[in-house]
Amino acid sequence: MNRRNHVTRLAAVGLLGAVTVLSACTERADDTLIIGLSADITTFEPGMISSRDNANIARHIFGTLFSLSAEGDHLPDLAHTLDISDDGTAYVYTLNEGLTCHDGEPLTAEDVAYTFNRVADPANRFTGNSPGFVYTSIGFQSAEVVDDLRVQINLARKNPIAFGLLTEIYVHCKDSYESMSLDEAAANPIGSGPYRLASWTRGSEVVLEKVKDPGNFERIVWRIIPEASTRTAELVAGNVDIITNVVPEQIEAIDASGRAQVQVVSGTRRMYLGFNLSEASSQLPGGDAIQDPRVRRALQYAVDVPTICQQLLSVDCERATGPVNRPNDNPALTPYPYDPATAEALLDDAGWPRGSDGNRFSIRLQAGQGRYVNDVNVVLAISQYLTDVGLDVELELMEWASVYTPLLRERSMGPLFFLGSGGGLWSPIYDMTDLADVNSGTNYTHWDDDRWFSRWADLSAAETPEERRTIIDEMLQVFYDDGPWLHMYFQPDFYGVSDRIDWEARRDERVYVFTAGLR
Amino acid sequence: MGSYILRRLLQSVIVVIGVTLVSFLALQASGDPTYLFVSERASAEEIEATRQALGFDRPLHVQYLSFVRDLTRGDFGQSLSYRQPAMDIVLEALPATIELTLFSMIIALLFAIPLGILAAIHRGTAWDGSITTLSMLGQSIPNFWMGIMMILFFGLYLRWFPISGHVPFLAPLLDGDFGTAVTNLPRTLFHLILPGIAVGTYSLARNTRLIRSSLLEVLEQDYVRTARSKGLAEFRVLVHHALRNAWLPVVTIVGLEFGFLLGGVVVVETVFSYPGIGRLLFAAINQRDIPLVQAGVILLAGVFILLNLVVDLVYVRLDPRVKLAGGRG
Repeated sequence: MNRRNHVTRLAAVGLLGAVTVLSACTERADDTLIIGLSADITTFEPGMISSRDNANIARHIFGTLFSLSAEGDHLPDLAHTLDISDDGTAYVYTLNEGLTCHDGEPLTAEDVAYTFNRVADPANRFTGNSPGFVYTSIGFQSAEVVDDLRVQINLARKNPIAFGLLTEIYVHCKDSYESMSLDEAAANPIGSGPYRLASWTRGSEVVLEKVKDPGNFERIVWRIIPEASTRTAELVAGNVDIITNVVPEQIEAIDASGRAQVQVVSGTRRMYLGFNLSEASSQLPGGDAIQDPRVRRALQYAVDVPTICQQLLSVDCERATGPVNRPNDNPALTPYPYDPATAEALLDDAGWPRGSDGNRFSIRLQAGQGRYVNDVNVVLAISQYLTDVGLDVELELMEWASVYTPLLRERSMGPLFFLGSGGGLWSPIYDMTDLADVNSGTNYTHWDDDRWFSRWADLSAAETPEERRTIIDEMLQVFYDDGPWLHMYFQPDFYGVSDRIDWEARRDERVYVFTAGLR
Repeated sequence: MGSYILRRLLQSVIVVIGVTLVSFLALQASGDPTYLFVSERASAEEIEATRQALGFDRPLHVQYLSFVRDLTRGDFGQSLSYRQPAMDIVLEALPATIELTLFSMIIALLFAIPLGILAAIHRGTAWDGSITTLSMLGQSIPNFWMGIMMILFFGLYLRWFPISGHVPFLAPLLDGDFGTAVTNLPRTLFHLILPGIAVGTYSLARNTRLIRSSLLEVLEQDYVRTARSKGLAEFRVLVHHALRNAWLPVVTIVGLEFGFLLGGVVVVETVFSYPGIGRLLFAAINQRDIPLVQAGVILLAGVFILLNLVVDLVYVRLDPRVKLAGGRG
């Protein structure tokens, strides 16, 4: 062997050794769970948290008074009892004894009242889910101390879903947060939940350390991995245990890897094609046609939803018959079948026959892109199905954040628009509150059918669950027949889970790993 | 030279203001950012209140002038999504991108110099043909595709290198935590190999071709022929006479490329989940986090201006014929 070969061989052995040693450095212990997320985390300020990924991590840091189980049951957490006043405007929670925040400060009713009032304080200018959605929805007024262990939340009016929405308020301690500026609080959460923040490398990872039960892992590492194929590669390589937002095209590769499996759950997000029924929309081409409920009903038959699901989402989706998730929906309703002949006949009957060019009417369909699973292809397919029954569809695919979101907030998309709206399992009324009022910010359709909107007063006045259920079913029947949505499907959610981990994905997009363990 | 530098720095202030104005107008033109900071159930009153809270209710020129006024006090504003000083967040992401950029440029130069020289001195041979072909290939392959392929082959199949992530070296070093920096260094380099190659391949290919063509041009010059005719060894002719002059265009390109890469590696940073400034700004643009975008743009513009200045000064050093305008050379 000459000298040059000897040196080359030594260098190769050295390189291989270095790689092996460094690879070993990256291996982790069994007490650590690693989760790959697709979106970055922006804040740990309880009043500013708004994205689901952000909330999923925060929920491990902050306790809540009560919580919702995967099945939608209302369970005690920091509090063990909830008493609601007869008029439904005062919620009195009784806390567990001996609670503390992560800095050791005792957690009492004063801290809970402080939490609620701090988030509502306009001086803090919080714009997260708690002040922006929860408080608005429940008509939050104030929180006050009853005694050391009892805190009272005051609402403006009776609200049948307030108990569920209040599970989204992250409890923190008064002294610790009063000693921090808002800047400091955003990056240094002092929580009341089972895990505390150990480190946060922006754009890279969040590391949590266990402080109390429940929790089977001493450390949870949330890694930010925006690219779907990289997340999949990390899972298959065994470097992460759970990944969110697996793209349908990669399901097969993960299942075949022998190291992980994809869990598919029917999510609670309602995917629908909306009909904008506003006056402004009715002036646009096709906007006048969809004002007629017969046209809307006809189009329910025009789109082959099962095929869209099988071909574009790789699963048989759970079909929707309205805004309410199963099992809280109206069981008497069945999804509209794909029947283009019926669709065409109904359109003819409604006074929109095909013209000499084969078209019945022109209409614009708007959609954002990159927000939902395979959304662009789904919208393209919908557009084609509508074209097949004689609509001249002008499809506009838009950048989600800058173009589509402002339209959403102004409720001016359409006349046809594609959207997904987050729902829940714990109350049918929660799913229906998108259309709690004609002018509600989430009634993107401007639908104003009195047979729906006048029943909300009846719902509030209902004395028994049975009475309430009857009203709900009647409302859902109206929504099914003449509603403003073309009912599509509940978005399937895809999670990649390592074979070493025992964990069940939830339907409501919450990634909670308190009970996850090693197999 | 001092007055030249001072004048250039003063000019750069105008450039920075221009850059901030353009980016500010571009972000504003893409829609009202308020909508991204309200819940979907927000009422018109809540939207208006949020707009006021974020300061977007003021006329555009007032918003911009207010930003410039704060800027003169060193206040870059608060990030709207992170609720933290915008420049702090940008500076937090900068070291990771500097590490990636430096690493990829070192790889690029380490291989480009010998390959370029080899191709030039063996012009027309199989060596030259192979190197030129590979260079063209390197310039043609999109870096994100190369990144994904390397992840699959070296990360997933061979399991030699980490698939994604970053271990900081510069950040602890700048914080004065030398122990952590030194401890991290091997893992930092380990994590940099795949993204570094993905980023550096284009530069490697381009620099190889640049060095080759530049050297070929110089090798045709009379003074090289003279040097050879004086009987100097070919190695000495190459190093002392040809290469010194062949460096000039390379220095220009490499210097500017560094600035370009600082903000331009967003795709590779995304593929490798690398927490750098490109990915940060990309997310900030999507989120219409105007203060964060402005802070990033100013920083990158500053780095670019500084690099331009350094390139000019190095150029003068390398080529005595070049004099700085208004200076004595």
